[in-house]
Amino acid sequence: MPEAGPSSIALNIASPKSAVTNGFSPATNGHTNGSLSPTNGVGAAPWKLLSMNGKSASPALARVNLPGSTLYEDSFVDREEFVRLVIQSLRDVGYIESASTLEAESGYTMETPEVSDFRQYILEAQWDEAERALVQLGVAEDEGLWEAKFLISQQKYLEFLEAENTSAALQVLRNELAPSHVDSDQLHSLSSLMMCTDAADLRQRAGWDGASGSSRRRLLTNLQRYIPSSLMIPPRRLSTLLSQAVLYQRSHCLYHNVPLSLTSPNPRSHFSLYTDHHCDREKHFPKATTAILEGHVDEVWAVEWSHCGTRLATAGKDKCALIWRIGPEKDLSTRTYTVDFVLSDHQDAIGYLAWSLDDSILLTASDDCVRMWNTSSGICIRVLKEHTDTVTSLAWLPDGSGFISGGLDRKIILWDADGKRRDTWGTTSIRVTDLAVTPDFSRVVAVGMHYLAPSAAGSTTGSGRSESITPPTGGGGARPNNTASRESENRMLIYDLATKQTEASIRLDGETTSVKISPDSQYALINQAPDEIHLWDLSTCRVVRRFTGQHQGRHVIRSCFGGVDSNFIVSGSEDGNVYIWHRDSGTLLEVLPGHGAGSVNSVSWNPKIERLFASCSDDHTIRIWEALETSERLSSTEEEPEGESNKGKGKSRDTLDGHLDNGSGGVDGAF
Amino acid sequence: MGMSYRQYLQGARIYGCSRCRTHLATIHSMISRAFNGQHGRAYLFDVVVNVVEGEPADRQMTTGNHTVRDIYCVKCGATLGWKYDRAYEPSQRYKEGKYILERNLLTDVQ
Repeated sequence: MPEAGPSSIALNIASPKSAVTNGFSPATNGHTNGSLSPTNGVGAAPWKLLSMNGKSASPALARVNLPGSTLYEDSFVDREEFVRLVIQSLRDVGYIESASTLEAESGYTMETPEVSDFRQYILEAQWDEAERALVQLGVAEDEGLWEAKFLISQQKYLEFLEAENTSAALQVLRNELAPSHVDSDQLHSLSSLMMCTDAADLRQRAGWDGASGSSRRRLLTNLQRYIPSSLMIPPRRLSTLLSQAVLYQRSHCLYHNVPLSLTSPNPRSHFSLYTDHHCDREKHFPKATTAILEGHVDEVWAVEWSHCGTRLATAGKDKCALIWRIGPEKDLSTRTYTVDFVLSDHQDAIGYLAWSLDDSILLTASDDCVRMWNTSSGICIRVLKEHTDTVTSLAWLPDGSGFISGGLDRKIILWDADGKRRDTWGTTSIRVTDLAVTPDFSRVVAVGMHYLAPSAAGSTTGSGRSESITPPTGGGGARPNNTASRESENRMLIYDLATKQTEASIRLDGETTSVKISPDSQYALINQAPDEIHLWDLSTCRVVRRFTGQHQGRHVIRSCFGGVDSNFIVSGSEDGNVYIWHRDSGTLLEVLPGHGAGSVNSVSWNPKIERLFASCSDDHTIRIWEALETSERLSSTEEEPEGESNKGKGKSRDTLDGHLDNGSGGVDGAF
Repeated sequence: MGMSYRQYLQGARIYGCSRCRTHLATIHSMISRAFNGQHGRAYLFDVVVNVVEGEPADRQMTTGNHTVRDIYCVKCGATLGWKYDRAYEPSQRYKEGKYILERNLLTDVQ
């Protein structure tokens, strides 16, 4: 492992001074490594180093004189800036000789001796010299000299305290910190550190990691802003610029779906400096149906992958939930989709599914009833009947210790993992249509129809044709007679999970049917009729992105995040297509046809395989969508027949329009 | 037809299905109480929600011939009353597009 390169080597072509003997013990750039072996004095001549290596380099390396000042004739890049960044990088990684050679050949030095001295002084706690060097570096009084000096004095003060040299610390406090122009609060908190019992206490209370920690290097970084960066180049500057280029390319890669790490080398990371990063839509993006699961005998309303990504729960209007097992085969032609269990105890259609964190329990919601199922036996463990109206949402806590249910009865209930009621939000102000818990355990985000108490709804009883007809609230409800449907109030409520307090209550424009939280807990994705999906920033409570294109009017349509870094938004739609957007730009990437008549009701991106998701539809099927990257594109067998166990389970057709035969009309009346 | 929630009404008095308490209409949209149905008293409403409409049929009512459709609760399927498509008597035209709910099939809900 080469040490980080010395920065204190300055080139001095004109007069190679008596070479410094320290030779190769490199002083660091100040940012890469804490251990110091100082070079004494200024200007270790580069050829000295060369000759120590046994090479007899020519002392008079010819300086190359180039015209102009830019890297290329038609380039905006300043040649001196570029070369100095290269020298810095070379030094950082340990190509010391090359760096010196480059300095000699280009005539540019990475930094002046004053800068390296200054860095040295800070790292070696030579405070007085450091302050003098500040002035030499041209930091003027009106350009933050006082602030810079304050930072140095503060470090000095803390180091004295740490060394339990209280009197010296007091001196600094009195003579240097107190006279400076900082606000008194800061001064008070500094002086209160005098009371610390020991060094460990001091470091903890000051949020400072001590003289032997990184504090001096942090101080250097803080001082950087007072010193022109053309004099003292910020650490790892070239690498920083390249990282920015990578991020830029990634943000412009619409179909980005491969892991791309800037901090740790990842064998799957496809990033190279040689070419611009670009994900191939055909290879990496799931847009082909590779399987159609046929097991339901009516509309499928909910679809949810297990956390392990190998099982899929589906449910819907046929009152059944199915647990599918996806075979491990990579080869699409041999991969199997089998129904492990048919969960058929519910009396009504099933609208919501939720896997426990360890995938051992599946929750299903049907009308006002929640059932808990053992997913390895298919047995119903428990029936939860606390809600008095349709349960619309179920969300496990991030630690798996329990889950939350929400319903149109306006109740939000917290349950233990074994189904015991732990807590309740009481009766909230909305009929909850969906809710979600942030992965960081901090919040519950619920959406629904705002409830106005009767008294608040302007009660003028009386018959006769009233001019004010109470607007029906919300509801993608019964279709026929919505002609009179007026503006209804819908809301997003953000609760603090620990205290159950409402952090925010935001009025939304349309009926809300789905809420999902981004993995970083910062954003909520909300489906909102008509035809919009909004991405909300939960800290600022603002919409940061809108996704449009999908159709949503009367039905419960759900969406989700997906892909590497949650780069995509995918949603169902009432036009029978699956819609996928690029999350950061809002660009509609794909409209995937395939499902039959009716709505695509819900979608679920596989949590383990970023190139695979599932959708479910009124056409009674579930579709698996995949990227066809896996080299062999297999011929005809893309439709996988469903497992046999699920066919012909007792199905009671329960359409409501069965009995129209009572011809005996009513009586009539008039005014 | 996809999944949908029932509509919920707001108002001083909300009438719901007596069998499953599904919201149907508010007192604000009531036009008249002076109607009769198969089960006694019936109310005429401007707006009714959460119902499924049956096929149209001509029926002779006390006030003349009408084209009506039976209406059923969207949740439990109970027959609740009817909707007027057309009134043949010009004096009865005001009923067109309006709904009859039978009082005995209703209950107050929140």
